[in-house]
Amino acid sequence: MRAKPVYLICFALHFSLILLASSRDLFSVLSEGGNLFPASFIQSWNRLEDCTSAALGQRLFKANPLRQLLTVYTHSAGIEAGYGFFAPNVPNSYKLVFEIHHPDGELEYQLPEVRGAAAGLRLISLYDNIGRITYEPLRELTLRMLAYSVWREHPDATLIRAVFGTVTIPAIPDSLRGQKESYDLICSYDFAPAPSESRLPK
Amino acid sequence: MKASDSTKLTAFLFPAVSDWWLTLLRRGMALQVALTCLTLRSDWQYLFSSKNGGMVNRHLGEAILDLRSTAIPRLGWLVRAGHQLGLREETVLFLAWLCLLVAALFLLLGLFCRTSAIAAWFLYLCAVKSGNLFSYGVDNFVLIGLFYLMIAPLPDRSALDASLFSAAPPNPQRLGFHLRVLQLHLSLIYFFGGITKATGQGWWNGTSIWRALSSPPFDYVPLSTLISLRPLLILGGICVCLLEAAYPIFIWPRRTRLLWLAGVIGMHVGIALTMGLYLFSLVMIVLNLAGFGSQLHLKPPRFFRLTAGHVRL
Repeated sequence: MRAKPVYLICFALHFSLILLASSRDLFSVLSEGGNLFPASFIQSWNRLEDCTSAALGQRLFKANPLRQLLTVYTHSAGIEAGYGFFAPNVPNSYKLVFEIHHPDGELEYQLPEVRGAAAGLRLISLYDNIGRITYEPLRELTLRMLAYSVWREHPDATLIRAVFGTVTIPAIPDSLRGQKESYDLICSYDFAPAPSESRLPK
Repeated sequence: MKASDSTKLTAFLFPAVSDWWLTLLRRGMALQVALTCLTLRSDWQYLFSSKNGGMVNRHLGEAILDLRSTAIPRLGWLVRAGHQLGLREETVLFLAWLCLLVAALFLLLGLFCRTSAIAAWFLYLCAVKSGNLFSYGVDNFVLIGLFYLMIAPLPDRSALDASLFSAAPPNPQRLGFHLRVLQLHLSLIYFFGGITKATGQGWWNGTSIWRALSSPPFDYVPLSTLISLRPLLILGGICVCLLEAAYPIFIWPRRTRLLWLAGVIGMHVGIALTMGLYLFSLVMIVLNLAGFGSQLHLKPPRFFRLTAGHVRL
């Protein structure tokens, strides 16, 4: 093989990016606390996360060609994120319920629906992402879009309330005592009247 | 670095291997992509439409993607190109789904391997990035597999391309290099997954396994069964941390490779059966079998060898 040096350079660059992305996400998880390390380490984890982010070009201006190149490459190769699934602990799951108000005062409750189980898993992933959104208008917009498909099924509804919250599973001893899962509200939005085409992003 | 170290590194990174691992990767990834297409068939338009009938307007996902980079491929590019040809969005989305499925089927057969691999990677990437709001771990692993397949020395000897077009067999050292990349990447995936889990108390006392298996929609196992298996939950959590974090240590030596590979594959089969994450488990099993399973030189058990000998006599 004559091209070995080229392969070696590509290998070094590719694995540097994998290591940096994985380390950044590890430090990010650790900096959130709730792990076996003392809380005094949090500042160090934050600093390390900053360093690895910087090495990945994420502290450069968005238009910087190097940042753009690294971002496009890591996303294309599927290596832009680390591998800390269900870590350090398994998070609570989320639930979205639509409360449909009919003109006669009747209330109906409905969960978002998809046809296949595979899309159902993607819906769960969407809930996780909505749960992570800290920018309120974006969360509202996402829930409004989900509410719109419910509206199509119930065009006579006067109001649709989207209630988004977390499902907390009781610990094993509490389950033994008969405690059931609990639902804690994160946010709720009232959508009325029916959103028009112009209110949705183009 | 000394000259001998450099030689050792080169020898490690460029071993001469057969293309069996590439056949496994090609067929496995093809099966994965085909199953993804088929299971999402009825929801494809609903997931990716930019009309108000979609789950979440695709433009929102693509606007979020723009915050990272405007140069990351997305379905919006295909829709815009289709628009120039007078095609409606629904038609373009359907064609994207169809092309992805056809590319997967071609890969399964080994027909036009390189083109099919590039098409499958590009279309899958577009779909995942446009749907970044509802993509999850499995998508990254499929992208990793498709990316490595796309740059691998295709076609392998089992592919139809090899017999139809009499393609020369790939250079064994080049095959070895690509195999090493996959193997090292898998080692990093499990190592980071394992040590991140190990920092959480829940994985040492069974809480995390309990929560993972009892949280909807992954609650396939009845709670009463889980409660009765409480000691096993603690053991399960520790085993998951150990299997993952120690993967780079025990998967490389030939003596422990089979044990570790069986353990990791068993873990993924368990995830599929108890949590319903079939596609996630499939892609991990495919990557593991291609990366390390293809390098196992298994001898048949002694019993079978004796029986075979007796039959010959």
